[in-house]
Parts: sequence; structure tokens; C-alpha cells
Amino acid sequence: MRDVAVIGVGMIPFGRRDEDTLLDMLAYASLHALDDAGLGDQGVDAVYVGNMGAGILQHQTAIASSLVDRLSLLPAAAETVENGPASGGSAVKNGLLAVASGYYDTVLVVGGEKMREVTGWRATDFVATMTHPLAEYIYGITLPGLAGMFTRLYMEKYGITREHLIAVAMKNQEMGALNPYAHVEMALSREGIYDSPHSIVNNPVVADPLHLYDACPVSDGAAALVLCPLEKIKKPAKPPVVIAGFGQATDTQTLQEREDPTDLKAVTLAAQQAFEMAKLKPSDIHVAELHDAFTILEIAESEHVGFFKKGEGGKAALMGKTRLGGTIPINMSGGLKARGHPVGATGVAQVVDIVHQLRHELPKERQVKNAQNGLTINFGGFGNNVLAFVLRRVEL
Amino acid sequence: MKKPIGIVAYKCKKCGRLHYPWHDRCLACKNREFDPISPQGKARLLTFTRIYNLPWGFDQRYLTIGVVEFENGVRAMGQIDADENYPLKVGDWLQPSWDTVRVQYGENVYGLKLTPA
Repeated sequence: MRDVAVIGVGMIPFGRRDEDTLLDMLAYASLHALDDAGLGDQGVDAVYVGNMGAGILQHQTAIASSLVDRLSLLPAAAETVENGPASGGSAVKNGLLAVASGYYDTVLVVGGEKMREVTGWRATDFVATMTHPLAEYIYGITLPGLAGMFTRLYMEKYGITREHLIAVAMKNQEMGALNPYAHVEMALSREGIYDSPHSIVNNPVVADPLHLYDACPVSDGAAALVLCPLEKIKKPAKPPVVIAGFGQATDTQTLQEREDPTDLKAVTLAAQQAFEMAKLKPSDIHVAELHDAFTILEIAESEHVGFFKKGEGGKAALMGKTRLGGTIPINMSGGLKARGHPVGATGVAQVVDIVHQLRHELPKERQVKNAQNGLTINFGGFGNNVLAFVLRRVEL
Repeated sequence: MKKPIGIVAYKCKKCGRLHYPWHDRCLACKNREFDPISPQGKARLLTFTRIYNLPWGFDQRYLTIGVVEFENGVRAMGQIDADENYPLKVGDWLQPSWDTVRVQYGENVYGLKLTPA
């Protein structure tokens, strides 16, 4: 297996992008990544597109084929990868394996989703289609609903409180306000969402015990990477970052069939595999992008990947250990909570964010000083399909 | 007329693990043979949520959904018929029934309904 480097990254600002089609967004992010890689007019061998919902939301299929045509990348191999909210991570994995195996040398990985052109009612239903059709979906369960049930269990078992959840929401929105690519560029005041009587209106219950500001927004957006073998890089314009490890694991589709529904086994396994492959341990990681579709998930994932003991993640967030300058800064992009969650784009965007961190090219308000190793967790379903990537800065 | 609960769970003939929904192989031992099991008795609430941002197909203000465990160990999700202010809590015993849980394309869809006992 060859070491695989990320030589180009690109992203467009996430949010509501009424003026762009899904293909526009995928194309813009791809061109940014190709330019960042310095490829000029050079082609790529293959293109992997992570997308969950174009068939449902845009009534458009085979978008990878459309993208290579639009970008004049013919006759590159092209595939769309659908794996729920882990579609982006799965696209990265496919690109990684294709280059690592020696089959392809230059691969473009893109993730994108256009969710805001349908009503919230429809978007919520679209995301819920990943639940079990007979045992869950028919009841009207939503992903915030599953997260609400999970949060209640986590609160009872580990003593998590709204204070812990608010600490995550405030940190991530503070970072989002500093990120020009973020969907929600607005810092929160504790008074506005929790302390004042107006917080009932500002921050209503979405799926109790979760409130509006515990959840990520519904976003449009796209992100892209260019991968190549590390051995082919001679005089890099930017410090190369390698994908030193990856892992992927699955769990039961329904929460009710898990022996302990608070145990996110797939997160633990995926992270362990990624650490083992990279020959690193959780304490070697300097910055992480975790899948905080809901504030509780950042806390739970920070424990399941091994940054904190079970039951300690909430306290760590409250004590500032996950902030810039803390022991393990998490979601310095703002995370899904503020950067946004165009589902198919997220797994790719997380890798883009970590590459920026490891290249040391972010403004100091978001840059983790001298970061060498980073981790991403892309969480599909409700933890039933999870991808982890460990990235490492390389000095040539 | 009261409808029987339409849930069928599956008990592995080899190791006894209960499954719902259906799996072709046992999640514990990979065995492919199961005995069908019907949920029995009342249902104890394991967790729940009240959802206020509902998906397409639900034209109402909120929906209460929970996961319960029946007296014979079968676990399932269902809709809970409880007023917004009802002090529902984990561990409550609920009375199960089989009733309309949504209407899709003009057709009633039946599922597990739960009422505070």
C-alpha cells in the first residue's frame, strides 16, 4: 500500500445557496481543489462524488458522470458514493484505497448536497429515510428525534446536563463566526439561548431534551480534495498532508437492538482502526473534527474515540478542554453545528478543515498551534456506519 | 374492534437472542433459524422524545415517540398518546395497542401505539 497525500483542497461557503444547482456547487469546490493542487489543465484518473440525496431532492441521478463531463475531466472514471450522512467519508475512503492500491495516481474526491430547495418538512423526511422503514420510519421518527432519545439516555447514565450541551453549542458557533465558509456565522450569547425568558422563543425544543441550538442547520454546500501518492510529490508548494489511517465500522440500524444504546460501538471501532493504521494514539492528535450534528454527539464521540473517559466529555467541554488552546481542540471549523451539514459534503469538508489546520494556514483565531496530527469522524445513520480518518503533516 | 399488536419478533433457536426487526442471521451467533415471538403484556418505557419539527406526512404540532420493552423482552419503537404536559418518564409502564400511526397516500398505516397505563 502506498502512502496517500492530500495535495489540493477546496470548499465553497455552506449555507442557503439558491443561486447554485447541486452540479454548480460540486464544480466550484472541485475547481478550487484542482487549482489548490496546482494541477492546471492536467486531468485526474478518477472522481468519487459523495452525495446522499440528489435522487430524492433534485430528481437527478448519476451526478459523478455529469460532473466529469462538466469539468472536462473525461475520460476519468467516475462514481457517486451514497452512504447516508457518511457519503462524504465513504467517497474519501474510496479515493484513498484507489490511490493506495496503486491503481490510480490522481483522484478527485468531492462531496456535496443541496438541501434547502425543499421545505424543512421535506428535508426532515428525506433525512429520516435512512431509518428502518417498518420499525422506525412509519412512526414519524426523525434524526433529531433519535438524537433526543439518545440524549435522554446519556443524561441518565452519565449525568450530562444542558450546561454541557450549551458549552458545545457556544464553542462551535463562536468558531463558526470566524469561519468564512460557515453556514451560521453568528456567535451565541448564553443569555439569549438559556438564561433569559426569551430563550424559550429563541431556542425552542426541537426534540426534547434537545433544543434548536443543539442541532446543526440544514445546509447547501460542497467540498473537494485531490489525492495522489506521497512518493510522486517532489517539490510541494504547500506542506503535504497524508491520510495516515482510516477506519470504518457499522452497528445495528435501530437503536433499540443495541445492548447499550449509549455505546457508539462503530465510532470506537472506526477510530481504533484509524489509530492503529496510523500508528498513533488519541493523545497524539492535536485537532479533531467530530460529527456534531447534535451537541450530544460531539460529547459522546469525544469519549468514544478515546480523548476522554466515558462520562467525562461533557465536563471537558464545560472546562474548555475542547476549545482552541485546550488539551484537544474540537471542531475549530464550527463543526456541523455552525459550518453546516450538507449531508454528502460533510465527510469531505471535515478532511478539508483538518488539512488547513495541518498546513498551518488558518488565521490564529482558529489555528491550532503547530498541529501535526488530526482526526475526523463522519457519523452515518444514527451511528450505524461511521468513518474515521487520521491525517498527518509530512515534512519532505 | 381492537386489533392485535402487529409486531413479530424473532428468537434465535440456537442462542435465544431476541430480534426485532427481522434479520436473516442472528446478530449474536449467525444462526438462521428463529421462532416467531409476539410481544406480551405491558410495555416499559426505555427512552422517549417529543418531536416538534415533524417530517412530511405529519400535520400536527408535535409527536411523542418512545422505545419500549415488553414484559417478554421484545423491544420496539412506538407512538405515545400522551398530552404535551403529561409527566412522562423513563421506566413508566405503558399500555400497547395497534392503531393508525400515519396516513400515507390516503391509506392508514398501522403501528404500535402506547398509552400511559
